[in-house]
Amino acid sequence: MGNSLVYAAVNTKIRAMEGDFLTAADYKNMLQKHSVPELARYLKDNTHYAEFLKDVDVEKISRRELEEIFRRRIISDLDRLIYYFKRGYKDFVRSLYLKYEIADIKHLARLIFNGSKPQDFSQSLTFIGKYSRLQPEKLFAAASIRDLITSMEGSEFYPFVKPLLDGRRENLFRFEMVLDMGYFSMINQMREKVSGTDYKILQFWEGTVADLYNIQWIYRGKKFYRLLPEELLNYTLDFGEELSFTKRKALCYAANLEEFYELVQSTGYQFLFKKNQTQDIYMERRINRYIYHLLKALNRKYPMTIIQTICYVWFLEYEIKDIFAICESIRYRITPEEARRFLVRAF
Amino acid sequence: MAVETMKMMGFIGKNELMNKILRQLVLDGSLHAVNALVRINSSDFKILPTEKNIEALEELPFLKSYSAHRDFSEDEKIITGLMQLFGIEPQVKLEHLLQDYDYDKFIKEILNIDEEIRHTTEEIQERERTIEEKREYISNLSYLKEHQFDMGRLAGMKYLTFRLLKITKENYEKLKKNYENIPAVVMKVGDEGKDVVVATMTPVTLEETVNKILDSLNYTPLALPDGYGGLAFEVIQELEQKIQEDERSVEELKASLSHYREEYASVVEKAFSRLQLEKQVEDLKSDAALGKHWFFLFGFVPENRVGELKVQLESSFGDDLIILVDDIAKSGRGITPPTQLRNVKLFKPFELLVKMYGIPAYNEKDPTVFFAITYMLLFGAMFGDVGQGLVMLLAGLIMEKVMSDGNFGGILVRLGFSSTIFGFLYGSVFGSEDLIPALVIRPMANINTMLVAAVFLGVLLLVASTIWSILNSRIQRNIEEGFFGRNGWAGLGFYLVLIYSVIKVALGGSVSPVSIALMIGFIVLMVLKQPLAHKLEGMERLYDESAGSYFMEEGFGVVETLLSTLSNTISFIRVGAFALNHVGLYIAFETVGKMMGSQVGNIAMLILGNVIIIGLEGLVVFIQALRLEYYELFSKFYKGDGIEYRPVKLKGLAHAPRNPFRTIAH
Repeated sequence: MGNSLVYAAVNTKIRAMEGDFLTAADYKNMLQKHSVPELARYLKDNTHYAEFLKDVDVEKISRRELEEIFRRRIISDLDRLIYYFKRGYKDFVRSLYLKYEIADIKHLARLIFNGSKPQDFSQSLTFIGKYSRLQPEKLFAAASIRDLITSMEGSEFYPFVKPLLDGRRENLFRFEMVLDMGYFSMINQMREKVSGTDYKILQFWEGTVADLYNIQWIYRGKKFYRLLPEELLNYTLDFGEELSFTKRKALCYAANLEEFYELVQSTGYQFLFKKNQTQDIYMERRINRYIYHLLKALNRKYPMTIIQTICYVWFLEYEIKDIFAICESIRYRITPEEARRFLVRAF
Repeated sequence: MAVETMKMMGFIGKNELMNKILRQLVLDGSLHAVNALVRINSSDFKILPTEKNIEALEELPFLKSYSAHRDFSEDEKIITGLMQLFGIEPQVKLEHLLQDYDYDKFIKEILNIDEEIRHTTEEIQERERTIEEKREYISNLSYLKEHQFDMGRLAGMKYLTFRLLKITKENYEKLKKNYENIPAVVMKVGDEGKDVVVATMTPVTLEETVNKILDSLNYTPLALPDGYGGLAFEVIQELEQKIQEDERSVEELKASLSHYREEYASVVEKAFSRLQLEKQVEDLKSDAALGKHWFFLFGFVPENRVGELKVQLESSFGDDLIILVDDIAKSGRGITPPTQLRNVKLFKPFELLVKMYGIPAYNEKDPTVFFAITYMLLFGAMFGDVGQGLVMLLAGLIMEKVMSDGNFGGILVRLGFSSTIFGFLYGSVFGSEDLIPALVIRPMANINTMLVAAVFLGVLLLVASTIWSILNSRIQRNIEEGFFGRNGWAGLGFYLVLIYSVIKVALGGSVSPVSIALMIGFIVLMVLKQPLAHKLEGMERLYDESAGSYFMEEGFGVVETLLSTLSNTISFIRVGAFALNHVGLYIAFETVGKMMGSQVGNIAMLILGNVIIIGLEGLVVFIQALRLEYYELFSKFYKGDGIEYRPVKLKGLAHAPRNPFRTIAH
């Protein structure tokens, strides 16, 4: 396959689109804002988000609306990129939506569980049906988790959620877990659609991400949820770069946290555990930062590969995450210096 | 060969008669409905203030569009349920529709029938459900067939629980790799592609733990029957027997309904037909406008159907229905009328290819005949072969008759025929030029003649399409394009002089000053087309836009005209080229055939060659001819921006009788 031919075009597009990312100065300015509308106005007047905010009254905007608007940017950007790919690659790039779609389904499930009405949320769950064959209006009509599962019939997710219907096990926790497991199983299949170098890079990249998530999962399962080791193990992602099944098993069956820390020391991921008070608060951010820098490195190393596209999407996601972190810190009146520490991007 | 003339008809009737009137319109099947409010607001809408119309006129300012779209899904469910029960084929029959009936009252009857037999049908459903359940038990038990388990004892254990479940292979692998930590006996009993079926046995005290673990593997439990003893295969036998019993009782229950069937089958059959009609009527209503007492509906009807429809409706509804018939406004203002093509059978299939480019507008000439003749000509000239032509003709006939694809099959028949004729002219049978003499020319022996003839044919076709364009401009009273346009008189004149000069130069002469003067003159006319036309029409403004930008555009237009005139003409050289190509391709296969060495090999190669030529070259020529039509010819004279005529009809009523209401006495 003429990789350089395809990527020459798509990378040029990506370079152009990267020009729209927020700059370090933007971050600094945003941290100085005192309210969400003020922040929104800044984005509207000074950044690429203007395009998405042009019909919006920033004075009245809520956090949720803002979130919805920014998610639309992910869709519009991905749609632009998909255009450049063909066949299997098109499917692969489309599958980058999957993560957001599953997040939306999980969100919907939680709303239904809490008894919200569809008109309250159908607006903001734009990713549903974006990758899969789900029919959003059917899902929005669901009144219970059981309804929700049956309304997913015919979609790619159905084989994963269907077993929940038997034996009254359709609770929220399992529903979310099953979807997540389904996600990684689908991602695993998607990798088969790319060829050569791309495949190897993806294996490394997705394996590393899986490692990070697995460690986080086992740690939290042990510390907060007291799950059975067997359960923990069964819910881990069944692939990884450094953590083989045996290593994962050892982590799951660690008798206590001390033993767990010891085991992690021997892996390349010991940086996640500094054994201080902030360890749990910053774990997510540490993972994200690690991914961010890993992506940057891969990006430099493999200019004519699929990683460029992945990078763009993840960086965009991190940018949006950071904007919301800033939003939150404004609302909770956290000083800019402190707020910076919650951001993925360092500047 | 024409576009069917349409009339705009209006139906203004009493609201309570709406359903009945619309029903007749649907059955008539010739009304192409348009939105009533759009029609009423259009400039050419008028309604005479006679005594009969006065009531309806008063409602005009207060009309609303019909918005209460009725949902028939409930009726449909009941009717299809009854049809299944009684074993009735879904079929729309006209006889049920012609009677005078009130749909709502009628459907009540159906609901009553449904009510009456509900008890029995529910029992049938219940039995069918248990049969389904037992079938599932059987399929689950079949995993245990080879094992000596006593099902009764397994189910009755006090300290252990036995279960059968299905998990994905991925998850099964996880389970296997961690087996030493699982407090259960797990035995794989079946393998189904992506999934694995396992039997598990756990102490009751550990059941909760095991459940959690299994939950995390996302299992599906497979149900086993309660209260059966013996080995799995014995239980299966027992269940099969019970299924038979159940099936028998279902049959009995159905038989007990037989007198209902006799009594009501015809009613249900009626209901199906009427439901279908009612759905169409409901669709038609969305184009209607409603007043307090009157409803308004408008649509286009082919001229030859107007009289009959009017007479029928008037005889049925008399004074309760006002029928308006208007001519279509010449000006082209108002609502765009739909186009219904009418062609003789010989040219009809080619409508398909014309429509692929576009439907002719209502006030445009239908190019189907022109297209059909030229297309057959071009195709035959490029693909002239008696044998291969006959194969295509045959294939077309088979498509027409067997696959009942009249359009495409028809095209193939005609192209095959044309190819055969040219085959005789070229003296070619299945590629071989030795079997029959050429009546006119052998392409390969006269390459230059072929190519020149092709260009000459192109000149003729281009002139013809320009004349066509001039005629179209006349219909549309477009002086600017008709007289001075590139595809008008000026363009034609320029083209003819140009061709004349080229021929003269080719024959060794030189271009006369008169010719040059003429050509320049025509170009000047073309450049000045807008101001000239406006002057002739007596308009004050000479240019639609500013004069500067007009001349800028037209200046480039002239260059484009010069280029495209030449390229359009040269483009036809492909007709000759493909005729040569056709022979050349055959020669290639013939040579390979001779190299095969054996007689059998030679013949096999010739057959293969012919198959490829018919398939591949046939397709290429089909496309090339289409390309010539669309780009070189249609672009000159054909816009194709019309709307297709789609009357509201009842689907499934294959041959709508032209006059369904004659039979009813009123």
